[in-house]
Amino acid sequence: MFRFIAADLVRHRWGALAVAVLIALATALGVVVTLEERALRLGSARAAAAFDLVVGAPGSETQLVLSAVFLQPAPLTLLPGSVLAELLADPRVAYAAPVGFGDFSDDRPVVGTTQPLVDGLGGIAEGHTFMRLGEAVIGAAVPRALGETFHPMHGMAEARGGVHTAITYRIVGRLAPTGTMWDRAILVPIEAVWHTHAPDNYGHEGHRHEQEADAGRHDVAATGTTPADASPDSVQPRTIADAYKRRQESEAAGFDAPIRPSAVADPAAPGVPAIVVKPRTIADAYRLRQAYRTDHTLAVFPGEVLTRLYGTLGDARQILAFVALNAQILVAAAVLLVVLIHVLARRRQIGALRAFGAPRVVVFAMVWLEAVLVVGAGLVTGFLLGYGVALLLARKISVQTGVVLPVGFIAEDGGAFLLLFAACGLAALLPAALAYRQSPAAALRD
Amino acid sequence: MPDLDIRDLVVRFTGLERPALDIPELVLPAGAHVALTGPSGSGKTTFINIVTGLERPPAGRVAWGGTDIGRLGEGARDRWRATHVGLVMQEFHLFPGLSALENVLLPQRLAQFRLPPRLRAEAGRLLERVGIERPGQKIETLSRGQMQRVAVARALVARPGIIVADEPTASLDAEAGAAVAELLSALAGEVGATLLVATHDACLIAGMERVLHLEAGRLVPAASLPAASAPVSAAPAPAV
Ligand SMILES: Nc1ncnc2c1ncn2[C@@H]1O[C@H](COP(=O)(O)OP(=O)(O)O)[C@@H](O)[C@H]1O
Ligand SMILES: [Mg+2]
Repeated sequence: MFRFIAADLVRHRWGALAVAVLIALATALGVVVTLEERALRLGSARAAAAFDLVVGAPGSETQLVLSAVFLQPAPLTLLPGSVLAELLADPRVAYAAPVGFGDFSDDRPVVGTTQPLVDGLGGIAEGHTFMRLGEAVIGAAVPRALGETFHPMHGMAEARGGVHTAITYRIVGRLAPTGTMWDRAILVPIEAVWHTHAPDNYGHEGHRHEQEADAGRHDVAATGTTPADASPDSVQPRTIADAYKRRQESEAAGFDAPIRPSAVADPAAPGVPAIVVKPRTIADAYRLRQAYRTDHTLAVFPGEVLTRLYGTLGDARQILAFVALNAQILVAAAVLLVVLIHVLARRRQIGALRAFGAPRVVVFAMVWLEAVLVVGAGLVTGFLLGYGVALLLARKISVQTGVVLPVGFIAEDGGAFLLLFAACGLAALLPAALAYRQSPAAALRD
Repeated sequence: MPDLDIRDLVVRFTGLERPALDIPELVLPAGAHVALTGPSGSGKTTFINIVTGLERPPAGRVAWGGTDIGRLGEGARDRWRATHVGLVMQEFHLFPGLSALENVLLPQRLAQFRLPPRLRAEAGRLLERVGIERPGQKIETLSRGQMQRVAVARALVARPGIIVADEPTASLDAEAGAAVAELLSALAGEVGATLLVATHDACLIAGMERVLHLEAGRLVPAASLPAASAPVSAAPAPAV
């Protein structure tokens, strides 16, 4: 019987292969959708775990979370320095740390913050934390060595915005891996960011923040087109750049100064786009969120915002799953048709088997088994293929964003697999029944 | 070896006003070698399908050795045929991808949980007997004459008491047909089986002890046939 099935499969190997591939692709489609959505949900939830409460200026809650937690570049309105001072003094706050983004080094976000966030992200794995203005701590996935130096840019590299070329940070430490975007970030003291952007430092920089504040959110690339190189007038930019550079160089010496943690507690300190707050208790978290939902500030639970986002994501997933399901049903129908046609085309052969003495149950079992073998091979391949593709996709996303997406099957998937297998087994009964009912006399006649 | 006893067998097909087969009485002794002749469409294949249990007789009695196969269910008829009948058809119904030996053994393999070793030996012996030199040769690489000889070996391997062939030489050239015809009667004689062959082939008819002639579903005396093979116990029926 198995010999016969094997011979038959070998004879119809291309057809069988096509059917199996079709099933594998349809299955893989569903598997990828399911695994990737789950991985995205788990991965982003993990990424937000260190961020209980985020305070920013009024605007989009989603954008605030995306920028503060996922370091997605967006020019946010600055919060006045007094808000951070106020939060630091609040007894309900375990710690509050600024997240000052906007600068980049080789497309990696350079984020100004303070020690509590360094600790909150998991601490230093190698070297030591920043202690001077010109010191930087890199995320686990930043391919730089301790001791290297870099000059941050305002805006992404391709935008070639205002260049802080004179500012030099030296890498002194590396964060423990977090499996989040922060693995790709470079952390510097917020004071250093202020130092390079503060109005008293250089009027142009301060002015730009005001512009950003006025214009609300707009593209980083747009803010990147500063007079430094975008102007067709070639004399003026050079003068500004020169003046700027000279000033920066004169200040470079000051970058060796130790950081003053107390500087952030100063109500007169410059503004920051977002503040990460660790409340002492859950009740405190709710009270703080209430207290900082005002006309001038916005407080959000990243977890909550993400949940809302997943809601939308979930809808998208349902649509995707619906599409995948329909594709699968179509494939299943097509496959069933192909198998039926195959069995019909072979009813002579099948009927003859009975005429020459094969019991009809054996004929039935043979047709069923052969169909299940092909379909089952397709199913298993589809699951493996789907897993592989999901893994590759997750790795790609991880390389791009730093967020580790945990791709994996759960027990439920095993159930789904068995269910699918059972459904295939049931569907295969149809051609088998057809073979069972095939009259041997009619099979021999035509 | 069972004898065949047919009473009041009438087979009708929808769309045909005349019955395709109408045999009031026919008795064939066990071990007889009988040719079934008649023009195309006279009911030879229908007759063979009925007496081998491939189709259920709708009316009348068709009994082999006292077993009325019309009273058997479909599964029981299959089992009865598997143990008692060896079939050779005009088309060989061999299975591509399998060797000659595998083809001879295939129905037995499918019917039995474990193939008895003596069947394998018998298959080898039969293949040798019908002149197939390489039992391991893939069936699709054989000539048509060789294929029909493999089919003959397959019909005989389970040692059936009844061997039935439907135009076994019709799709072969004269030489190959003669070889198959000779093998059929010789092998049936060796095992003492009842042999029933529907054929037009004069060479095949000549080797038979009896001839049944069908005309439009009825058995008629075959006047033009050799005297030795005049039908013995066929009830005389008027020609239409
Ligand atoms: N399944 C069937 N349905 C309808 N008519 C049939 C069927 N099988 C055979 N016949 C008819 O019965 C007659 C006898 O056919 P058959 O037994 O095949 O003749 P032979 O084998 O002698 O050529 C023919 O007229 C044929 O058309
Ligand atoms: Mg015929």
